[in-house]
Amino acid sequence: MDLPGIVQLIHDSALSEWLRSSLKAMPIVEAIHVMTAATVFGTILVVDLRLLGWPSTQRSFSRLHGELMRWTWGAFVISVITGVLLFVVNSVTYYGNTAFRLKMLALLFAGVNMFVFERVTGRDAAAWDKGPTPSSARVAGALSLTIWVSVLFIARWIGFTKGYDFSIPDNVNLDLNFGQ
Amino acid sequence: MSTKSKVASLVVSAALVATVPAWAHHSFSIFDAEQTKTFTGVVTRVNPDANHLQIFFAPMNAERKNVERNAEGKPVVWAVEMAGSAQSAKDGISVNAFPPGTIFSVSLHPLRNGDPAGARAGALYKCPEKTPPAAGKNCDTVTGSLTIGGDVPVPAATTN
Repeated sequence: MDLPGIVQLIHDSALSEWLRSSLKAMPIVEAIHVMTAATVFGTILVVDLRLLGWPSTQRSFSRLHGELMRWTWGAFVISVITGVLLFVVNSVTYYGNTAFRLKMLALLFAGVNMFVFERVTGRDAAAWDKGPTPSSARVAGALSLTIWVSVLFIARWIGFTKGYDFSIPDNVNLDLNFGQ
Repeated sequence: MSTKSKVASLVVSAALVATVPAWAHHSFSIFDAEQTKTFTGVVTRVNPDANHLQIFFAPMNAERKNVERNAEGKPVVWAVEMAGSAQSAKDGISVNAFPPGTIFSVSLHPLRNGDPAGARAGALYKCPEKTPPAAGKNCDTVTGSLTIGGDVPVPAATTN
């Protein structure tokens, strides 16, 4: 089955139908998504600023990183679960929405940037734990900040670009000829 | 920042704000409540948005034998918009209740900007499957049709 077929299957699922029909489910899911996204961004922001040397480089990077990342990952997991539910409820529309696709791309970039930092740039963090960060780490911090700010902006864009999509799905037959 | 660049950034900001499509989650003042159009059409798609559910449909011609087409021969598509998906589901309006191909009648207050969409006015009348109304009539006149989402009737005057 191709991707649009899978998206349609999700759209037609019992879970999707239940979420759409409940007056309470989506506001609760959305509220949790916003809270956890704020936690993800807030904790990443503090780590990124430390990488950039703001407000100082005196605080142990490894300690800051260790303390905050558990909150980042915990919130991220809940954010992904609630985000999936937000997608499930109207998957066909989100799948066709450019802002939604850009957000997924931005999240992928954020993941790659984090992976490279953890595996390459951050491996010698002990050497600059309480001192000036090397330029590679500053670049990683600036990149991360830029990407995550983009994620938040694009995410809000989704809500304002769902407008009217007048396109006719391929599987809809309008050659009716009733009574002929 | 110089005065010149301040002005420039203001202009850019204003342009950015102006280009954001403003009707994904909007007030209903974008619709002209003074005007009411009535359609009988064929469902092409339902967008069960949490804020405003939309039913897209191809209006039928006056003979009710086929859908209307534009100069290029492509079907004309309109949209009727209403309350959010959950509230609409409580009224019996959902993706499952209006699959593609469903023939129904609806009155709507059209958009002020002339785009082919409007806010639902009154009930939806669903024709029995593959049973369009007689020429010039709407689904409320078809035996076995369903009245969904309230008891305000489709106005007797047929504008389409």
